[in-house]
Amino acid sequence: MTFAQYAWLVPLFPVAAFAVLITLGRGAGRQAAWIGTLASLVSLILSLCIAGERLSGTVDEYNAHFTWLQIGNYSLNAGFDVTNLTSLMLVVVTLVSFLVNLYSHGYMRDDERITTFFAYVALFTASMLGLVLSDNLLTLYIFWELVGVCSFLLVGFWFQKPEAKAAAKKAFIVTRIGDLGLLIALLLLFWYMPGNALDFSSIHNVFTTEAGVIAGGITTLIALLIFLGAVGKSGQFPLHVWLPDAMEGPTPISALIHAATMVAAGVFLVARTFVIFQASDAAMTTVAVIGGFTAIFAATIGLAQNDIKRILAYSTVSQLGYMMLALGVGSVSAAMFHLFTHAFFKALLFLGAGSVIHAVHTQDIREMGGVGRNMKITAWTFGIGALALSGIPPFAGFWSKDAILTAALTHQPLLFWVGAVTAFLTALYMARLFFMVFAGNPRGEAHAHESPAIMTLPLIVLAVLAVVAGFVETPFNGWFGEWVTGEKPEAHTSAMVIVVSVAVSLLGVYLGWLIYAKGTVRRDIVSSRIPGLVKVLENKYYIDELYRFILVKPLGGLGKALAVFDEYVVDGVVRMAGQSAAGLGRLNARLQSGQLQGYALTALIGLVIIALAIAGRRFW
Amino acid sequence: MLENIPVLSCILLAPLVGALLVLLLPKQQGSWHRVTALVFSVIPLVLTLWLFASYQTATGGAPYTEHFTWLSIPLSRDLGQDISSMLVNFDYHLSIDGISLPLLLLTSVVSVMAAIASVHVRKRWKMYYALFLLLETGMYGVFLARDLVLFFIFFELTLIPMFFLIGVWGYFAREKAANRFLVYNGLGSAAMLLAFLILIATAGFTAVQGTDGVQIAYSGSYDVLLNNIADPNAYANMDPSQTGDAGLHLSEGLKNWAFVLLLIAFGIKIPIFPFHTWMLRVHTEAPPPVVMIHSGVLLKMGVYGLIRFAAFLLPAQLEDWSTTLAVLGVINILYGAVLACVQKEFKLVLAYSSVSHMGIVLLGIASLNEIGLQGAIYQSVSHGLISALLFLIVGTLYERTGTTQIDELGGLAKSMPFLSGILLTAGMASLGLPGLSGFVGEFLSFLGLFGSMKWLTAIGVLGVLLAAVYVLRSVLGITFGPIPDRWTDIKDARFVEAVPMIALTALIVLLGVFPSVMTDMMQQGFNGLLEQIQQRAGG
Amino acid sequence: MNMLASYLTLAAVLFCIGLYGVIVKRNAIIVLLSIELMLNAVNLNLVAFSKYGVQPSLTGQLFSLFTMTVAAAEAAVGVAILVAIYRARASVNVDEFDELRR
Repeated sequence: MTFAQYAWLVPLFPVAAFAVLITLGRGAGRQAAWIGTLASLVSLILSLCIAGERLSGTVDEYNAHFTWLQIGNYSLNAGFDVTNLTSLMLVVVTLVSFLVNLYSHGYMRDDERITTFFAYVALFTASMLGLVLSDNLLTLYIFWELVGVCSFLLVGFWFQKPEAKAAAKKAFIVTRIGDLGLLIALLLLFWYMPGNALDFSSIHNVFTTEAGVIAGGITTLIALLIFLGAVGKSGQFPLHVWLPDAMEGPTPISALIHAATMVAAGVFLVARTFVIFQASDAAMTTVAVIGGFTAIFAATIGLAQNDIKRILAYSTVSQLGYMMLALGVGSVSAAMFHLFTHAFFKALLFLGAGSVIHAVHTQDIREMGGVGRNMKITAWTFGIGALALSGIPPFAGFWSKDAILTAALTHQPLLFWVGAVTAFLTALYMARLFFMVFAGNPRGEAHAHESPAIMTLPLIVLAVLAVVAGFVETPFNGWFGEWVTGEKPEAHTSAMVIVVSVAVSLLGVYLGWLIYAKGTVRRDIVSSRIPGLVKVLENKYYIDELYRFILVKPLGGLGKALAVFDEYVVDGVVRMAGQSAAGLGRLNARLQSGQLQGYALTALIGLVIIALAIAGRRFW
Repeated sequence: MLENIPVLSCILLAPLVGALLVLLLPKQQGSWHRVTALVFSVIPLVLTLWLFASYQTATGGAPYTEHFTWLSIPLSRDLGQDISSMLVNFDYHLSIDGISLPLLLLTSVVSVMAAIASVHVRKRWKMYYALFLLLETGMYGVFLARDLVLFFIFFELTLIPMFFLIGVWGYFAREKAANRFLVYNGLGSAAMLLAFLILIATAGFTAVQGTDGVQIAYSGSYDVLLNNIADPNAYANMDPSQTGDAGLHLSEGLKNWAFVLLLIAFGIKIPIFPFHTWMLRVHTEAPPPVVMIHSGVLLKMGVYGLIRFAAFLLPAQLEDWSTTLAVLGVINILYGAVLACVQKEFKLVLAYSSVSHMGIVLLGIASLNEIGLQGAIYQSVSHGLISALLFLIVGTLYERTGTTQIDELGGLAKSMPFLSGILLTAGMASLGLPGLSGFVGEFLSFLGLFGSMKWLTAIGVLGVLLAAVYVLRSVLGITFGPIPDRWTDIKDARFVEAVPMIALTALIVLLGVFPSVMTDMMQQGFNGLLEQIQQRAGG
Repeated sequence: MNMLASYLTLAAVLFCIGLYGVIVKRNAIIVLLSIELMLNAVNLNLVAFSKYGVQPSLTGQLFSLFTMTVAAAEAAVGVAILVAIYRARASVNVDEFDELRR
């Protein structure tokens, strides 16, 4: 017996918790919420066992599947795979989910729908676990959609807020654009793959050993469509717009979405189907360029935002760009490594932000300040997270970012510099965030106080992980990448990458300290000289407005036009047919005057005509 | 246990008996009528469930078939020397197969739910329930009949109760809606009758060698037609120069005409753009339980007819017309979806979404492969359940608020969490969320069509995105957001309302998670058709 | 033979005058009188043919006697209806009586 055989239980526990909690409903009370936490704890333990088993390296990869649907000669399967990659993801997802669960007991304590909240969280976790375990693209797609709907439910959890409603709607619809891409890619693969197979091992075989079975153009198309799906879920440009708005959900959910579940799905998908991308240079370049562009694009927006959660949201978009960049330059291991470390420090940052919001009841960093004095644990852990995100050694973010930049330098030197600039911007906005929130004097009214232990405990655990997680793969000890991808990574650490990345990060932090803590550089140094730039950044490059202008408005207009068409043309033709018959009847009715003499005259005329006709026939 | 009982006739006649019983009951006792209607709706449900459980794909519907001649009219046309008699036969022929059984089950489930949901009917219960049960008989007959004439009779039989149910118990513009319904469907029936006459007159006769000469019998028997049209040596397919009787030759041109007429007849029912406007009115004006039946079952009669008669009898024509069908399907999907995005009335959103979803069914039929055809039936069943659930909710909602305008509602998740949760689930099923039945139907239809027409499918898939837009816009408009003061005190669904909702939701989830409960059965139903299509493609 | 032509011409003229009166006149009494005129034109024809026809016989004259009786009865009924209508509507104008339409 191996633990891997029971991997299907991992998502099953949260599903069971969901079923129980949603059935109990609102009346169950706060204590019932522990069911969800318990389920995620069990899942975590099982995941750790599975991962331990994989780490020991003594068991083979495990796959089990059954026929979900059999139609004639075609069969659609469902099943699960246990590999190093999936076991890693299992641990990340269950761990973050468990910590978020714990934290939520404190954060959501006073919410009357707390059981519903935990039910949704459990379903969210289960969907993501299912996605991770899927052994074929169809199963993955099913869980992919479920992840989407769960994030929709949670973003819109406070349904009475109009902003939450709009954000939930936006999150669902924008990611659905990407889902369409994935769906079409799925259809393409089904019909082009030999034997209509959709499982990842067949895909792997077809695209590596039997290259040429699927034409190059189709391969590129499939890869790009899959990438479209990933762009939607992972918030890459131009479908990133939903992610910052998703901040309307409760903060623990933001942590869950940004660290382990929703957005990681896109990166995971590309990593899982990486062979398809490798078979097409065009697709690889697209992934790298979009990733790099998103990284720097989101980082610049992050500089100008004032909402603590939005800054973190844009930093997620930016970091996901990094991961895509890594995938685009061919380094799955670097991408997965960054996904792994990012999960911890981003969850840490969001939970820390939640702790702050919980204390000061505002999300605007201009109204905060000096929070660190009263919230020591939050401040310290948040600081560790910020340093990790900024890529300061020896924190986790440094090592993974370094791996990405190294890969970028070897394959796309231009993108290396994009990444380096992004690293600088990241350090700068994180410094701005940290110093404006925790340093200086309080600017708002609210009096901050430390959160309860149930909220700080997850922070401490995550802070520890944010420090140590990076050491699994250092330039001196690269077993992690090999373990995850099964291939020995090219060893080519260059001193230049380390120097550049450390230098830009330190420069960013220093500059941030100068501006926002020490005040030697004036804050409006940029906005006073180029006011337009700041305005553009604050409005996120007007992407939302652009969408409204080129998509939403025309769709509404088209709908209204078609409504008129439907009412007056399609229905009008029918109405006209009916009315013309009725009109004809009315016309005939007019002849029926009731005037006896008129009738007589008509009869006479008719008689004459008949007589003439009969007489006339003689002459023809 | 039930082997010796004519199960199919019992299914067919139980509601009719119920209707008569309701008419005999004293007028004042509303609850008696309700219970009678419910009981006589449950009987077919139990029987169809038994059929479903005992159905063997190996033997098909043969053990249940009931077939005897109902009416036989001698024709005194100038008989030739060898011909002893010439007859027109009307057969009573009921049977089931993998295609009709799922739809039969859908009918019984939706009927029972609609019967329960009829608690909100406030006037003239007696007439209401009598007509309701009569409508049920008509629907069962449509799915059971294996004789063209019998099918036509039952198809027409559904029109009359529907007309009165809309016209008497509907909302404000009910009479207009009822008239529009009757005019359109009358037109469709005329087209169907003409097509049936063409088929019966050319391919509907059998010649039996008796002792005193050949007995020739005309009948609308489905099996006879199926064999005669498919058999190249049958009289209908012979060249008129050989037989010397051009009137009995089913030429390619005639087949084409028959197909087009059938397409129009069932296209009005489905409805296919531009024949959809009558349906919008019925959706908005008819009472919710009737719309449950209408949207849940009656539209599927069109799908069933199209597959049973147009596709199975004339597969070659189906192949010729498949691109047109697919284009019509895509138009339906997008047209319905875009219009659903801008409606202010929730019932109209649902009506247009039905147009959109029935487009997906057309795509499945147009795909001409087993995946797509199964998808079409699956989508029909799933849409039937989902729209029944949605209109159940609409009825419950209207009962409390007196409006279904999206602008006037809002935030109802606060005061009616259960109903809102069900509404959200139904909406998710409608937009094709995996794990719920809508996804399977959509996915199979798209997957099937993608094998033959890639570009059209890719365009049609856009409908899935638009579905998300209109479902979320309307459902969130009703349940999310701040709650207006006047709705803060309304009560959540009562027990009698919640039971059918839970049952339908459970079915939707079941079909979404384990689609194979239905697909294995449907597989057998399509075998014959696929062989024919493949034969033609090969030869 | 010329005699027959003259009778027929006279009858035709009378018939046309009667027809004109029936169609054009508004007063119901005049319409009734015009109908009498048309009937009498027919009577004239009957008598003329019975005297100068291809097979002269008394049948035609007999018929004209019948016609006169029927005409008298018709006039009596017609006038009675007219009186009734006049009592109800205080008018004998034909164009005001269009109840048939409804």
